Order: sequence, then structure tokens, then C-alpha cells
Amino acid sequence: MGGQLKNKTAVITGGSRGIGRSMVELFAREGAQVLTCSRSERKDPLPQGISSLTADVSRSDDVKKLASEAVSRLGKIDILVNNAGVQVEKTVVDSTDEDFEALMSVNTWGVFALCREFIPLMAGNGGGTIINIGSISADHADPSMALYNASKAFVHSLTRSIAVDHGHQGIRCNAICPGWIMTEMADAAFDLADDPDAARADALARHAAGRFGQPKDIAQAALWLASDGASFITGQTLTIDGGLIAASPLRPGFF
Amino acid sequence: MSAKSPASLSGRVALVTGGVGGIGTAICERLSAEGATVYAADISGDPGSVPAQVLHAECDVSSEASVTNVMQRINTEQSRLDILVNAAGIEIEKTVEETSLEEWNRIFAINVTGTFLTCKHGLALMRQVGGGSIINFGSYDGFIADPGLAAYCATKGAVHALTRALACDHGPDNIRVNAICPGYIDTPMLQSFFGSSGDIDSLKNEVRRVHPIGRYGTPEDVANLVNWLAGDEARYASGQLWVLDGGLTAQAQQMRL
Repeated sequence: MGGQLKNKTAVITGGSRGIGRSMVELFAREGAQVLTCSRSERKDPLPQGISSLTADVSRSDDVKKLASEAVSRLGKIDILVNNAGVQVEKTVVDSTDEDFEALMSVNTWGVFALCREFIPLMAGNGGGTIINIGSISADHADPSMALYNASKAFVHSLTRSIAVDHGHQGIRCNAICPGWIMTEMADAAFDLADDPDAARADALARHAAGRFGQPKDIAQAALWLASDGASFITGQTLTIDGGLIAASPLRPGFF
Repeated sequence: MSAKSPASLSGRVALVTGGVGGIGTAICERLSAEGATVYAADISGDPGSVPAQVLHAECDVSSEASVTNVMQRINTEQSRLDILVNAAGIEIEKTVEETSLEEWNRIFAINVTGTFLTCKHGLALMRQVGGGSIINFGSYDGFIADPGLAAYCATKGAVHALTRALACDHGPDNIRVNAICPGYIDTPMLQSFFGSSGDIDSLKNEVRRVHPIGRYGTPEDVANLVNWLAGDEARYASGQLWVLDGGLTAQAQQMRL
């Protein structure tokens, strides 16, 4: 039990599972008062003391509700983590208008709308810090993830704009770019392989760190970015991928 | 606005280091075909397969005396230098721990000091004709690492930074400086790498498969970009690192799922 976020408040979107849930739990352990949201109720309840509500960040009413609930439950807002995100596993040609709307409304509009609501709230209390979840896929394309990859590039760029435009109001804004983090989603991807064991072994060999990422790897980076120790860091994208993109995509040694 | 025809380098004088190597030969052929007077400088005294009209100059780019000799010869024979292509380079396939200090100094002497020296002594020749184009050889390995190529990766990162610095310092003299950063190019070096593995054909197919464009590059692909950067069509291009890799590094690592 640390106290790195003692007396701080945090709003973390998409906190019911995976990376979001890990952040919710870590931030609470470090002393923050946390409000999280997810689109639907999950069967596994959050630890006691964590405030949550049902909200879809792609809906204007829900974004406004989240901001007003944050003010009434937490008072001042110190930390906003835009973690909620969705993916569509298609190429450009295969993606429909509905796919575009479903993905962009969460991954791009949702991040924009939440920042627009929370920046004035933070600025009115002397400042705050925003952490967006980008992706290594913003700079290096994952195949058949065209809209997702593009949406994360939006997040990186918006992160820089917020840092530049609102720094003078005491707002810091950074993005974390996770690589392969072992969530239920990643496990499902391996299970689709012809030889899931071989696929896992190959993917593992491509990580200089010698292991896959865990949700807590991202949560710990977010904790640090949210802490006062990172008070001079803003407008940056921090890659947490175990060395994956430091290496060439082509590794003949693995053939 | 009177840019010359993109296909014309007539009247221009070009120096290509590493000029008889795999990529260098293709560059010399192309610049010569576009009308330039081309000097192929190389550590090798054998002009190899460069065309007869290309002038051969034996040169060790890591030696200042050797570089100034070549520049003096070009000044005497042509009184100008318009295009400098720094294609000389070596590769050491080792990790940092395996690399001796001698090997480290050797690769820096050729890949980095060599580029420094030809630029240092070529700039005056370019300035006296009102400008020019320098094309350095970086690598996609200057951005990301291939395993067991530590010193090579470091030299290419140095060339990238030197390219930007040169472009900033000498832009006012109308000297443009760019770097080409190749990925996998089909050269004798790549062939020997393929040859050292067991099943050459399946390895080649795997390498092709990982490239979005479905093949690896040829020296002619590199020469096409050199030709563009050398000519007036690229007159606003400077200080940039041009990755030429068939889309390879647009991707994350391609796992075998």
C-alpha cells in the first residue's frame, strides 16, 4: 500500500476489465479516490470504495453525466485517464460506415469530448493531468486494423495539442502506447492461430523483455505519469512494449 | 521556375563513394545514363562492372589524404561538384559485447568519418558552382535494431543526425543534404547472408512475405531515389531521411499467428 496518489482524485474510463481495471485498482491502492465507468455492468464487482457508473463515452449525454457525477462524487478532478477503446479487425475496403462510426465515436470522439469536459474543471482547480491510451499501432500498422490504427494516431496528435494549448492552465497531457498486453482479447487472438502454441512462442521471442505485457505494466506507467514525479512531462507518447518496436519487423533468425 | 527535365543531369558532376559495390554500381550507371559525369570512388582498385564512361577513383574514405586527393582531381578535371553520394559502408554482425574496440573504430571510420570527410572537402567544390545535392546512406537500422548489428545501427543513427546538421548549416549555400535509409536490398551482401543459411529459397520467400510490397528491393530502386534527390525536381527536399523499404517498417513485427 503506497500513497503516491494520496489526496488525488481520478476518473478512469473503461475500468471494468483489462488495462482499465488494473489502473483503477492500482490508483485506489495508491490512495486516489477513483471514479470509473463502463458500458455495461460486469459480473465481477470492483473492489470496495471504488465509485463506478454505467456510461458510454461515445454518447454525448453520458459524457456530460460522467463529468457532473465526477464533480459531485469527487469534488475537484486531478487525473483523467481515457482508457475506453474498441477495435474493428478489418482493412479499409472491408470496413463499413457503421464500423467507422462505432470505432471513431469511442476512440476519437469520446477522448475529445471527455477532454473538452474535464479540462475546464481541472483548470478551475489549478490544473490536472490527462493520460490517454494510444498504441504502438499508431506508428506501425497492425494488419487488418486500419480504423483502429488511425484512431490511435488521432489520440497521439490530440495529446500533443492539449499539452500545447492548455499547459499554461496547469494541464499536463501524455499518452501511453501499449504493445502486446495479455488481456482476454490477446488470448482470443492466439486461440485463432493454426498452431496456438507455436504462435505464442514466436510472439514471445519477438519481445526483448522475454515476456508479454501485463495490464499492470501499463497501470504502473500511468501511475508514474499521474504522479508529481512526472510534473515536467507533457505532450509525450510513452511506449510500453517490452522492446517490440525497437526491433526490425523482419527477423530472419526466426524463420 | 525553370526546373530542368527530371531526366536530365547533363553538365553535372557526381562523386559516388562505394561506387563499385552492389548499390554503388547501380547509382553510377543511373547518374551516368542521366547525363552526369560520374566518378566512382572505391577502396577497390578494380572498377568492377561500372560502365566504361564512369571514371574510377581509388579512395579510402576513412583517410583524409585519400579523400582530398579525389576532390583535387575532380577540381582539376571538372572545376565543379554537383552531386555527392556517400554509399561506402561496411557492416559488422556482432553485439556490443562481441565487438572489439578496433572493429568499432573501423566501422565508424568508414560509415561516419568517411561521410564527414567527403562532405567536409566536397562542400567547397559545390559552393563554387552555386550549390549541390549530398545524398548520404543511413539505414532503416538507424531507427530500429536488427539483432547482432549494434555498431552498424549506431553508425547509421550518426549519419542520420549528421545529415540534418549538414542540411541546416549549408542550406543557405543552396546545398541540399538528404539520407536514404534502405531496408532489405538485393546486393552481394544480402546474397551471402542468404547463402549462409540452410534452405535459401524458403528463407527468401519468408523475407518477401514480410514485405507489404511482396519483394525486397533492388539496387535500381535505390538508384531511382538517388536520381530524384540529385536532380532539380527535389529542389525543396532537404534534411530528410528517406526510408526505402517496401513498407517493411510501416508494420509492427509480423508474428506467425
